[in-house]
Amino acid sequence: MGVPTVPLITARFKELVTTISYKKGIPNMRITYTPHPITDRPRDLCDKYVQGADPNTGQPLLEEIYGGLTRPLSTEDAAPGFLKRDPRTRLLPSDTPENLLAYFHQQGFTDGNAIILPTERKVEEMLKGTSRQPDEWVGQMRPSPPHEAWYYTVEMVAVNAVMVGAKPEYFPVILAIASKGLTSMFSSTSSFARMVVVNGPVVKEIGMNTSIGALGPNNQANSCIGRCWTLISKNLGGSGKPGETYLGSQGNQLNYNNLCCPETEDGLPAGWEPLHVQKGFKKTESVVSLFSGWSFNDIAWYSPLPQHEVIRGWLEHFFSFGTTQATLVLDPLVAADVAAKGYPTKEAFAKYLAENTGTPGWLYWSQNTEALKQAQAGVEPYAGWLKQGPGAVVPVSRYLRRAGPRGGGFIASLTGKDDPTTIEVVVTGGGTNTFWSGGDFGYAGSASVDQWR
Amino acid sequence: MKGSRRFFLKSGATGMGAAALAGLPALPAFAAAPEKQEKIVVMNPRGIQPDIRKIPMAARPATLDGKTVYIVDVKYPNTKPFADALLAGLQAKYPKTTWIWRPKAAGYMDDDAALWKEIKEKNAAAIVMLGH
Repeated sequence: MGVPTVPLITARFKELVTTISYKKGIPNMRITYTPHPITDRPRDLCDKYVQGADPNTGQPLLEEIYGGLTRPLSTEDAAPGFLKRDPRTRLLPSDTPENLLAYFHQQGFTDGNAIILPTERKVEEMLKGTSRQPDEWVGQMRPSPPHEAWYYTVEMVAVNAVMVGAKPEYFPVILAIASKGLTSMFSSTSSFARMVVVNGPVVKEIGMNTSIGALGPNNQANSCIGRCWTLISKNLGGSGKPGETYLGSQGNQLNYNNLCCPETEDGLPAGWEPLHVQKGFKKTESVVSLFSGWSFNDIAWYSPLPQHEVIRGWLEHFFSFGTTQATLVLDPLVAADVAAKGYPTKEAFAKYLAENTGTPGWLYWSQNTEALKQAQAGVEPYAGWLKQGPGAVVPVSRYLRRAGPRGGGFIASLTGKDDPTTIEVVVTGGGTNTFWSGGDFGYAGSASVDQWR
Repeated sequence: MKGSRRFFLKSGATGMGAAALAGLPALPAFAAAPEKQEKIVVMNPRGIQPDIRKIPMAARPATLDGKTVYIVDVKYPNTKPFADALLAGLQAKYPKTTWIWRPKAAGYMDDDAALWKEIKEKNAAAIVMLGH
């Protein structure tokens, strides 16, 4: 900003703020901390906080702020220049396997599970899975926007692929994921999860499980590829250090494997395109598609209602951190049932869902403060909806992608019949029952596997 | 059943006897782990961290008397009581300074270039108040 500034932060985030200040090039930023949290605290308690001390320094809070704005700068704080990082060495100092394994865990190079030590010989073997040169750049990745991006080569990705026990033939799939530069451990106080779906000939070539238990720990390729995304995020994308580069309050079990699965393309109903074809690739291409969300439900509902109506009802009342997008993962049996009810494509089914889901009143009003103000001022149709109470369903779908001001919720358009939906449909599973899964995942992009062969 | 159990126990439940009994392929002969491990060299799994360009901090005035300081509120949900308490506390303790509470535009993750410009043009200082 170019003016004297003191950030006032709650004490719980000291490690994070110290790290971010350094990464932003102000290593000695003058920060004052308040007790944590300050949200939802009554005024009398807030007065005590303000009249009290910074919990991290013990200094009176107001005096510390004043001092931060007036104390003369040191020569170092006033000078431009660069903060040098430790140079990266290609090899680590030699040690016994036992000590090295302990070191890898200690340094946060792993996900806490057993790994294979990446010797040069094993990495060379992994590199045989691609025609790309070891020193070619693959991409850059960061834990979240305030952090700086780290860079990585083909060889660096191979090191991580070895660590999770991947076979060389999986390597192009892993490189394609890495090329997207999307961390699987996004740093937010909400605990993000990711999903990766593999399509195309590579699925059969590397023996991924598209059938019974496709989403479970039952197949080396499904397991290693999904797990590798997290190690890449930690080691190549600088993510996943709790308190500094990872803030998810509870964390997310899905980060262990990132819901890695292939789509069961031969189980798609006639007319339903594979996911990668929907995203503009040819059917003969091999592709990874990435999704971002938070939570995932596994559902079987034996009801007299047909599946498409059960799914519609679930979507209407589904509530999680991310309530404006959804990805459905249907068993081929469910996909066939849905298609038979008159949905010739995935898009047609998503459109039906988006156009026929409302939003529970309590959720709508809690997320749409502008609409609430208008309702309270008697503006229709909002006032009428509000009168029906928090248990009534407001006829506005959360699953239509509407343009509108940020932070205003989904009030922007009440028509939007032709807006694209935020619902994705993937088909996988072994057809042992009419199960389906779904969660608040949104599509985050696809990458060609073939380019990394 | 009883007889099988006796046989299993007599076999010592080790090596091929137990494996054969369980219908599993024979295990290789047990080899004791070496007491001393050889040192090996492994590759670094980490990527490249870029150097960081330093941002010099803005020069500080000796006093805030007669100056204006903005309390920039990023509007983290339900923190207004704290903002009110902070403003009141600063006004009472440092009355020769003008303290202005100002909510930042849009959501807490959005930029507010107009406000930063206003603060700079007034040669003021700022306290940026972040949740949680």
